[in-house]
Amino acid sequence: MTVATLPIERPAGRLRQLVASGIGPVLAVVLAIIVGGVVVLVSGSNPITAYQQMLVGAVGSPFDISETFISSIPLILAAYAVSFAFRCGLFNIGAEGQLYMGAIASTWLATTFPNWPGIVLIILCIVAAMIAGGAWAGIAGWLKAKTGAHEVITTMMLSYVAIDISHWLLEAGPMTPSNAYGTPESGPIPPQAAFPIILPSWILPNARLNASLFLTILAGVVFAWILWRTPLGYEIRAVGFNPKAAAYGGINVARRLVVAMVIAGAFAGLAGMVPVWVQMRLYDSFSPGYGYEAIAVALVGRNSAIGIFLAGLLYGAMIHGSVAMQANANISGFLVQILQALVLFFVGAELLIRWLLRRGGLRALVEAPA
Amino acid sequence: MTAVAPGPRGRLDGAATPHLEMRGITKAFGSLLANDHVNLEVQDREIHAVVGENGAGKTTLMNILYGLIHPDEGEILIDGQPVRIRGPRDAIAAGIGMVHQHFQLVPVMSVAENVVLGQEPGGIVLDRAAAVRQVRDLSERFGLIVDPTARVETLPVGIQQRVELLKILYRGSRLLVFDEPTAVLTPQETDELFEILRGLVAGGKTVILITHKLNEVMAISERVTVLRQGRNAGVLETARTSPPEIARAMVGREVLLRVERDEAHLGEERLRLEGVTADSDRGLPALAGIDLAVRAGEIVGIAGVSGNGQLELAEVIAGLRPITAGHIYLQGKEVGAQPAAERRANGLAYIPEDRHARGLVLPFEIKDNLILGSQSRPPFAVRGQRNSAAIDQRAEDLIHQFDIRPPNPEAPVSSLSGGNQQKVVVARELAEDPKVMVAAEPTRGLDVGATEFIHQELIRKRDEGLAILLISSELDEIFSLSDTIAVIYQGRIVEVMPSATADRERVGLLMAGGTVESAVPTAAQIAEAAATLGSPGVTGDGPHGEGGA
Ligand SMILES: Nc1ncnc2c1ncn2[C@@H]1O[C@H](COP(=O)(O)OP(=O)(O)O)[C@@H](O)[C@H]1O
Ligand SMILES: [Mg+2]
Repeated sequence: MTVATLPIERPAGRLRQLVASGIGPVLAVVLAIIVGGVVVLVSGSNPITAYQQMLVGAVGSPFDISETFISSIPLILAAYAVSFAFRCGLFNIGAEGQLYMGAIASTWLATTFPNWPGIVLIILCIVAAMIAGGAWAGIAGWLKAKTGAHEVITTMMLSYVAIDISHWLLEAGPMTPSNAYGTPESGPIPPQAAFPIILPSWILPNARLNASLFLTILAGVVFAWILWRTPLGYEIRAVGFNPKAAAYGGINVARRLVVAMVIAGAFAGLAGMVPVWVQMRLYDSFSPGYGYEAIAVALVGRNSAIGIFLAGLLYGAMIHGSVAMQANANISGFLVQILQALVLFFVGAELLIRWLLRRGGLRALVEAPA
Repeated sequence: MTAVAPGPRGRLDGAATPHLEMRGITKAFGSLLANDHVNLEVQDREIHAVVGENGAGKTTLMNILYGLIHPDEGEILIDGQPVRIRGPRDAIAAGIGMVHQHFQLVPVMSVAENVVLGQEPGGIVLDRAAAVRQVRDLSERFGLIVDPTARVETLPVGIQQRVELLKILYRGSRLLVFDEPTAVLTPQETDELFEILRGLVAGGKTVILITHKLNEVMAISERVTVLRQGRNAGVLETARTSPPEIARAMVGREVLLRVERDEAHLGEERLRLEGVTADSDRGLPALAGIDLAVRAGEIVGIAGVSGNGQLELAEVIAGLRPITAGHIYLQGKEVGAQPAAERRANGLAYIPEDRHARGLVLPFEIKDNLILGSQSRPPFAVRGQRNSAAIDQRAEDLIHQFDIRPPNPEAPVSSLSGGNQQKVVVARELAEDPKVMVAAEPTRGLDVGATEFIHQELIRKRDEGLAILLISSELDEIFSLSDTIAVIYQGRIVEVMPSATADRERVGLLMAGGTVESAVPTAAQIAEAAATLGSPGVTGDGPHGEGGA
């Protein structure tokens, strides 16, 4: 080479990148809180009191912290399901159905073999939940790869099917115990198969927060590990950005689509199992829409493992905190929904602005003072 | 220099007040000086070329002239009078019109409506008939043949460009700025455009032509202002300069416009196609029985007007398009049914014609793009995990070896210039020590420096024994790199000849469908062939440089 080469540049550290990419969502949350406060003010209440009550309600006591986590965990896991598929260019809006399948499979296993040793049973239940969720999502992936059927439609339809299957099973169906007296529910999860409670009783007696928190953290690690540290993750991301270039790079695009959906569904299956293992029973319609809220959590969390974990905690805190706020500050629980919508709106707006800025054509416009 | 189509010259006495003067124009984007005290002087009724490598600051300078960007320093004079240009409105009022690289047309409106947009005849209601009449007048006066009633979206790109031009003529612009107008045109359309430009100048207009193609500069301009890294690098009179001199000014060093290559040392046969047929994306037959062979140490160039099956040919060899019949042998092994990954593993490399659509994952970092195709193989993957040490090492090596800029392995490839993006593709494809390479349009859209570099790399690899199938719509590229030339026409290889004895005119004729032994070509075929030959060679003083427009 005759040309003089430049020294390799050492880019900014990962941590700095992470912080930089977190500024947008944090700003969005701050803006949402301000605008939400204005809404409260206009509706004739005191926003300071409202937020104070919400904050106290969410993290004011060991009990509340524990409950906030319990609200957050299914959201986080389901958001991993949304994001993982999204990294492969797939809109998995049917995490709700995958989560139902996970709940059904794990509950069925636990209630069918109530005498198995706890450690064996819980591990098998985790595996069953992941397989069921993964298989359910995999159907959509397979349909996409084989026929091109759009996953927005198929995952949605499969959600309805899964939820209806759960109704059939639980409403005086095959999984309803004979002593349920008309309550649509499954039999109890055998106590030896429970997750260990992780808050010691001297902090909080009868705490419900269990080791599924560690499972969730582990899920986040696995999520990031697959995407960034394995060739499989590389291939999934390549397909997500540019399927034609991926095929050019020798990647079997159809197979990757299926695999990505299966892995995504496995996260959702876990998300379905965890609430059952808190209530120790599968109730009919047990999910308040975790799979749908998860789409927002994934977006706010920017499809990153840490981002989703934090966004999930935020959403969980808002959900749990709103209970105290409604009771003590006498403010409608709709504020929480407004807040959630505002966070989403500002995150979306930020992404939109960035996208517009990135389009070369607008560079000149941004340059030129109007 | 021979063979330069003469523009209307002879007013370069220097005494007259220039029509346009830009003095000391400076514009910084952050720490980057896109324009650093740039001067530009354009005489009345001149065709003035502004050339420079990608990123030299040409577009910035023109956007400043048109009021889209405000300079930090500098002044603009029209006919000797200082003018303030605060926005495009002022520029239009000063008689400046600009044909942007990306057209600003309303696709669903008619030609006439687009042309008069902003200055419509009639009162509140648009007087369509008047608009059509005015536009027809205008197009006849300047020889810009367009149907004023046609919907813009139905028109080919070359004609849409004419509509843009009509638009600025309608506004009465005297100084016409074209930012890389030929980038979107076929060689034939380019010739037509140049004809139009000459007509415009004869009719009293002044033209600034931005380009980085030397043959265009030689063909049409009277003078050329060269920019390099945001600074003036000379003003040359076209009649007294040569492509190598312009290239030197652009790049800042000697540039080999003609690739130097030694006699080929042919080895064993590496790639063989027998009776290969395949369909296009639309399901129509695209390859109608291709027979072809490439040997080690040989470059076989596929010459052809684009759209005659070149894309499909490359894709069938790469394993990205199924064949409907025939056989493909890679190093003697039949691979016609193998998936792309296996062919790669067996020594095939492919530089795709469209680096954005195929060759790169744009949001990926440089280092991740440099392993595309090898991502699941050692050393980049070990026991199911990515091996960052090996990935980083490869990035560092290739960035050095190919001088990829910025030399930051973690920069997303989308942030690179076209030339550097192409270097990433070429570097990656050569890195696995391939036995056979399909190089499709390897220098499309690249400037002189990057083109030279990639040509040298290809020749170097050929000398090391690589078998290369070169597909290019640039005849110059085919002739200067190939050992053997194969002409493709309508999905068939119509003739194969050694490049040493190949005759350009004959190749052109074959490309247009004329068969030398059999049929006498039609007039249209000859015209098409002549048009292809018409673009004068980059190798201005070489044996292939003749044949001005
Ligand atoms: N709006 C902008 N913001 C930041 N950098 C810019 C902007 N416009 C151009 N540049 C940079 O300025 C330099 C000159 O660009 P440009 O004038 O487009 O070059 P050319 O047209 O000669 O290829 C390039 O390095 C380019 O990346
Ligand atoms: Mg430009």
